[in-house]
Amino acid sequence: MSTLTDILMEIDDSINYEKEKALIDDRLLDSFAVISLIGELEETFEIQIEASQIIPDNFNSVEAMEAMIRRLQGMD
Amino acid sequence: MAYHTSIYLFLFLPVVLLLYQITPRKIRPFVLLAAGYVFFWIISGELVWYLILTTLFTHYIAIWIEGTEVKNKKGRKRILIFGILVLLGVLGYLKYYNFFAQNVNRVLDQVHPGVAITMKMIVLPIGISFYTLQAIGYMVDVYWKKIPAEKNLAKVALFLGFFPQIMEGPISMYPQTSQQLWKGDPITLENLTGGSLRIIWGLFKKMIIADRLYLVVQAVFEHYDKYNGVVIAAAAVAYTVQLYMEFSGCMDIVLGSGQILGVTLPENFRQPFASRNAAEFWRRWHITLGVWLKTYVFFPVSTSRIVKRWNHFGKTHLSKHMTKLGISAIALFPVWLGNGLWHGARWSYLFYGMYYFTILLLGIAVEPIRDQILKVCRINQDAVWWRMLQIGKTWMIIFTGELFFRANGLRAGYRMFRSIFENFTLDKLWDGTFLSFGLDKADYFIVFCGCLCVAIVGIIRERSLLDTQQMQKVCLPVRWAVYYGLIIAVILFGAYGVGYQQVDLIYAGF
Repeated sequence: MSTLTDILMEIDDSINYEKEKALIDDRLLDSFAVISLIGELEETFEIQIEASQIIPDNFNSVEAMEAMIRRLQGMD
Repeated sequence: MAYHTSIYLFLFLPVVLLLYQITPRKIRPFVLLAAGYVFFWIISGELVWYLILTTLFTHYIAIWIEGTEVKNKKGRKRILIFGILVLLGVLGYLKYYNFFAQNVNRVLDQVHPGVAITMKMIVLPIGISFYTLQAIGYMVDVYWKKIPAEKNLAKVALFLGFFPQIMEGPISMYPQTSQQLWKGDPITLENLTGGSLRIIWGLFKKMIIADRLYLVVQAVFEHYDKYNGVVIAAAAVAYTVQLYMEFSGCMDIVLGSGQILGVTLPENFRQPFASRNAAEFWRRWHITLGVWLKTYVFFPVSTSRIVKRWNHFGKTHLSKHMTKLGISAIALFPVWLGNGLWHGARWSYLFYGMYYFTILLLGIAVEPIRDQILKVCRINQDAVWWRMLQIGKTWMIIFTGELFFRANGLRAGYRMFRSIFENFTLDKLWDGTFLSFGLDKADYFIVFCGCLCVAIVGIIRERSLLDTQQMQKVCLPVRWAVYYGLIIAVILFGAYGVGYQQVDLIYAGF
């Protein structure tokens, strides 16, 4: 999902997304970054992210976000 | 029976610990549950019914939500909204009825003199603002299917009525504490010493620093018309330090009590005065309230239809930055309105919430300009001088906010703030004015040394040099020197006895 990395780079290009596995826990992405990210993800991947999905486990790494996107696309 | 009083520390807590330890494992959670209700009853008497009814209501609403078909999204949502409205309705009535009546009467007095809404004598059950938020959080978590609805009523009751948390929080989420509370593990020597150390540290902050500063704060804030300039500014600083030492000190006693029982409660403070901006400050100050508001208000609003519409509109009509600013305004407004209202029924608390809303929004608004300036001026954001400047700016924001928070009303807050700029000379700091507040030079020296100790411990924690668990591994003589040093400091320098009065916990009033 190279689009996901592009979206993340748009939000903050100073982070090494391949390396970082605790984007939320280490506070690399704050709440505002997360809500910007959600808007982009919803539009790009045509998914609905509800408040219950906004937990660190879903946003800590690119892999976790990919898994969430796949899960939500499957649900649709 | 506040947590820093001798009745709690030398009678209630030891008796509960003893009963807990001597009873069989399976009975231990019930000892904690009974202790919670006794604690509540000692402070609020028959108002304990509010806690009992809230527990029953929350328990059955959660089961009702879970029992409703997953496909019936609207039905589940309606039950949740009903549950939230009832709990907030009770809290709102008890906390805000008189405030509402008072303000309506002011308007009525202008329109129809002689017509007025009757004011009522309402006594608040202790900790209602804390256990109501925990109850709402639990119901929402069940609705979101993060956790299953708990079938055992006693488990929900213990989650809402764990005695160390009743008065001042921390506001925990069900998965954080429920399992630990129900384990019934025996008290270990490690937990007993670690928890006791934390309790003594809390007493150190409360009795040596906060209760002394209380005298200065009381003298200036209650007679603010007599002072101006640096005296008002110093009183605002003194109140901020008093509040921090008292609230975080109380949290140390609460978390220490939990630790002895093998329960790790969530931390409420993380060196807040090391924050570089207001947003960071609120990630370090009253953390559990911030996390609650973020989880149950900020994120749901951020993913609501109105934000999505704004996002869509912004993409076609506005710049990226303006879109973000709009989303932030929509999502932050209810958070800070809620923060202000949660503290109580006063215009100054509402102002306090709106003050931080404005500051955070301004921070986001000027972000591009700030980044540009930093780039052009080639400022290294990690440079010590720059960090100090940012911390200094954050302190100004914090002190101003706390001045309005403590002032006797919004008007008094405004007058106090304005008077800081009148006749501002540093002479007042050493011309004897501060010795007229009931503290002598030795008291100020003790406060200074106490703050220094807290700052050093803060730096050690901030740099992760030594945490509570590592403290247990420090060689025995050093550890015992710390224990005895703290106990002796509290006995010798604690503000109690002749010349001092028992100071109630500020946050217990919320």
